[in-house]
Amino acid sequence: MAVIAEPRTDAAVPRVRPRSPLLAYGRHALMPLLVGAALLALYLYVSGHELDRIERRSLNTEYLTSRIFDHLGLTLLTTALILLVAIPAGILLTRPWARRWASPILVIANIGQALPSLGLIVLLAVSFETLGVNQIAIIAFLAYGILPVLRNTIAGLQQVDRSVIESARGMGMTRGAVLRRIELPLAVPVILAGVRTALVITVGTVALATFVGAGGLGDVINNGINSSRDLVLLSGSVMVAALALLVDWAAGIVEDLLKPRGLS
Amino acid sequence: MTDVATGTIRLEKLTKSYDGHGKPAVDSLTMDIPAGEIVVLVGPSGCGKTTTMKLINRLIEPTSGRIYLDGKDVTRENPDLLRRRIGYSIQQTGLFPHRTVADNIATVPRMLGWSKDRTAARVDELLNLVGLDPDTYRRRFPKQLSGGQQQRVGVARALGGDPEVMLMDEPFGAIDPLNREALQNEFLRIQAELKKTIVFVTHDIDEAVKMGDRIAIFSQNGRVEQYDTPEKILSEPANEFVSSFIGAGAAVRRLSLSRLADVEVPDNWPTVGADDSADRRRVAAAGTDRDFLLVLDADRRPVGWLPAAEAAEDGRTVPLLGALGPGDTLYEALDRMLTYSSTGHVVTDAEGRYRGVLELDSLRTLIHANNSAAGQSQEVS
Amino acid sequence: MGFYDFLSGNWPEVRDATVDHAILVLEGLGIAVAIGLPLAVLIYRTVLPRAVVLGIAGIFLTIPSYALFGLLITPLGLGNGPSIVALTMYAFLPIIRNAVVGLREVDPAVVESARGMGMSRAKILLSVELPLAWPVIVTGLRVAAQLLLGIAAIAAAVNGPGLGNLILQGLDKAGTPFAIYLTIEGAAAIIALAVLFDAAFALLNRLTTSRGLSA
Repeated sequence: MAVIAEPRTDAAVPRVRPRSPLLAYGRHALMPLLVGAALLALYLYVSGHELDRIERRSLNTEYLTSRIFDHLGLTLLTTALILLVAIPAGILLTRPWARRWASPILVIANIGQALPSLGLIVLLAVSFETLGVNQIAIIAFLAYGILPVLRNTIAGLQQVDRSVIESARGMGMTRGAVLRRIELPLAVPVILAGVRTALVITVGTVALATFVGAGGLGDVINNGINSSRDLVLLSGSVMVAALALLVDWAAGIVEDLLKPRGLS
Repeated sequence: MTDVATGTIRLEKLTKSYDGHGKPAVDSLTMDIPAGEIVVLVGPSGCGKTTTMKLINRLIEPTSGRIYLDGKDVTRENPDLLRRRIGYSIQQTGLFPHRTVADNIATVPRMLGWSKDRTAARVDELLNLVGLDPDTYRRRFPKQLSGGQQQRVGVARALGGDPEVMLMDEPFGAIDPLNREALQNEFLRIQAELKKTIVFVTHDIDEAVKMGDRIAIFSQNGRVEQYDTPEKILSEPANEFVSSFIGAGAAVRRLSLSRLADVEVPDNWPTVGADDSADRRRVAAAGTDRDFLLVLDADRRPVGWLPAAEAAEDGRTVPLLGALGPGDTLYEALDRMLTYSSTGHVVTDAEGRYRGVLELDSLRTLIHANNSAAGQSQEVS
Repeated sequence: MGFYDFLSGNWPEVRDATVDHAILVLEGLGIAVAIGLPLAVLIYRTVLPRAVVLGIAGIFLTIPSYALFGLLITPLGLGNGPSIVALTMYAFLPIIRNAVVGLREVDPAVVESARGMGMSRAKILLSVELPLAWPVIVTGLRVAAQLLLGIAAIAAAVNGPGLGNLILQGLDKAGTPFAIYLTIEGAAAIIALAVLFDAAFALLNRLTTSRGLSA
C-alpha cells in the first residue's frame, strides 16, 4: 500500500452559496417599476386629451375602480375555488389506491384545455340562460384554471424522492404526517408554480367576462372597440396587461417566500 | 419466550408474496437475531435480503409468518409505533431536504414526545458520536453536506430515538472506497460502545466479513444458504452457492479474521539481553544457526537484531522493522513479510514485550492450523 | 331544426372559418419561428441576452389575450393585422425557450469532439447541435400551435378572421336554439384543429428527427 490518498477534509465541501438578498429583490423590483412607468405614461397621455362624452363614460375614476375590483374579486374568488378543488384532487390522485386514475384524468383535462376559453364561456352562457352571469363566468374560469394546479400538484408530489418518503415511513411517521410534513412541503415549489400559472390565466380569462356581461376590466376594452374610441381601448388594454403582470409579480414573490429553505 | 434480552429479533416462517408473481419474494424464512450483534444479510441483487430487512419493521407487510421483538409478537402491532422503536438508515440516506440536520435527527425523538431540551441534547450527542461538530453542522441543510457527512447524519438520525434495533440498508454503499472504509471503522467503534442489535444489508461480501458478527448468505426468494459467523462461513461454506459467492480469495480473507493474540507464536528464537557481556553474546550465537539474535531490554521489550557473526564485537544492532502486536491479524503478518522481505518478524504482547518471532515457515504452519482448526481439510502444498 | 340540419345549412361558413383559423395560426407560428429560431441561436450561449429575451417573451405571454389584441388595434387597426402580430408574440416564448433549452442540452462532449475533428462553429451548429436539439424545438412548435389555436378565437373580437366569429355569432343569437349550435360549431372545430395539428406535429417529429434519437 504505497499510495496513500489524501484524506478528504470536510472543509473542501462546497457550501450552498448564500443568495444575495439584494439580487433576489432586485429581480423582483424591475417589474413594478416597468408597470408603474407604463401606467404613468398612460395617465399622462389620457390627461393630455380632451375627453368626449363617450370616453368620459368609461374613463372616470368611479367606473374604472369598480371594474378593477370586479376583476380582482372574480380572479381571487375563482383562484380560491380552483385551489379548493385542484389541490385535494391532486393529493387524492397521487395516493397509492388512486394513482392509476391520474393519467386518464390528466388526459381528459388536457383535451378540455383545447376548448378555447371564449368558446367555453359563451357556450355556458347560451346553454344555461337561467344561471346568473357571475356564476357562468366563475364556472368557466374554474374549469379553465384547474388544470395547471392539478397537473402541478400531481407532478410536485410525484417528484418527491421515494427514498425520503420511505425513510420517513421507516422511522414511524404515519401516512398523514408524511403527507403534511414531508410530501407537501417538498411539493410546494411545483404546486406554487401551478397556482401562479392559474392566477395569470384567470386574470386573462376574466377579461373575457365582458362578453357575457359579468363585468371586469374587459368592459373597458369592449367599450373602446364598440365605440371606436382608441383612448378607451388603450386604457383598458394597458390596465388589464398591468394587472396580469402585477398579479404574476406578486405570485412570484409569494413563491420565493414560501419555498422551503434547503431546497436550493 | 419471556426472559429474552432486549433487542432480540426472531423471524418465524416469514413469507412475502406478491400478486401476479409466481415465486414469493421471501419464502418461509426463519431466523434468530441475537441482541447486541451485527447480523449482515448478504447476497446477489434480487435475493430478498432487502425485502427481509423491510419485513422486520414492516415497511413491507408479511403475507404470513411472525416477527418477534424482545420475545414479543409484533406482527400485528401498530407499524408506526413499532418503527419508532427501530432505527432505519438507507443507502440514499432519505434525509429530509427541507429540514436542517438537527431537525432531521430530531424526527423520532419529537414523535416520541421528548421534551425540547432532551431532544436538543440528543441531537448534539449524536452529532458528536458520528464525528460532526454540532455547532458547525446543526443548522445546515442536507444539501450543504458531502456524501459521507450525509451518511453520518443518516446514521445519527436512525439512532435518534435510542432504538435497541437498527436496520441499515447498504448505508455506506454510495460512498467512495476510502471514505467508506473510514465510515465502517467509525461505525464499528460506535457499535462497540452502543451494542445495538443491527441488521445490515449489503451485496459486498468483504463488507459483510468486516462488519458482521454473523452473516446470512441469501441466494434467492429469501432463502438463507448459510447463517453463521464470518469465520465459519469462510472456512466451511455450507454448499456450492456459498463458496462461489465468497469467491476466490476466501483463504486470504479468512486470514484477516485471526488475530495474533489468539494464535500460538513460536518463542524459540535465540535472544540476548541488551546488557549482556560480549562473552554471553558469543555463547548464544554459537548455540544457534540463525544469522541474527534478538536483543531484549530489561523489560523484555525487543530492541533490535544482533548479527550472529558480530556477536562478540561492539554489540551494534540492526533496527527492528514492523513489529506485530496482538491486535494485528495473520493477514497483516503475511503482508508485512511480503513487504519487508525479511525472514523474521517480532511479535509482542499488549505491553510491547517479546512474545515470539514469526517466519514465513511458521506463519504458514499457523495459517494451516488456522484452516484446519476451522475444520477445513485443504491440502497445503 | 336539429343540429345536423343546421350544420348542413351553414357548412360552407364553418369550413371557411376553419380554414381561416388554421391559416391565421400558421401565419403567426411561421413569423414567430422565422424570428424566434435565429434569435435563439444568437442568445443561447450568453447569459444576459438570454435572460432579457426570455424575460420579454415571458411578459408577452403574461399579457391577457384580449388586452394584447386591444393594445395592437391602436397602431394596426382592426382585423388581420393585430391578430397575426398578437399570435406571433404569444408563440415566441414556447418556441424560443424550447430552442434554447434544446441547444443547451446538447452533450458538451459531442460538441467538443466535433470541434476536435475540425468542424467550424457554423458546421457544428447546423450538423450537430440543431439536429440534436430538433425534437425539443418541434415540441416547442407543438405547444405554441395548441396555444395559438385557442387564443385565435379572440381575434374575432377585433374583427379578425377565424372560428371565433361563429362563437360570437352564437352569443348574438343568445336565446335562440341557433346560439348553442353556432357556439358548438366554433368550439368543436377548434378542438378538431387542435387534434389535427397535434397529429401533424407528431408526424413531423417522427419524420424529421434522427432515428438515433427516437430509440
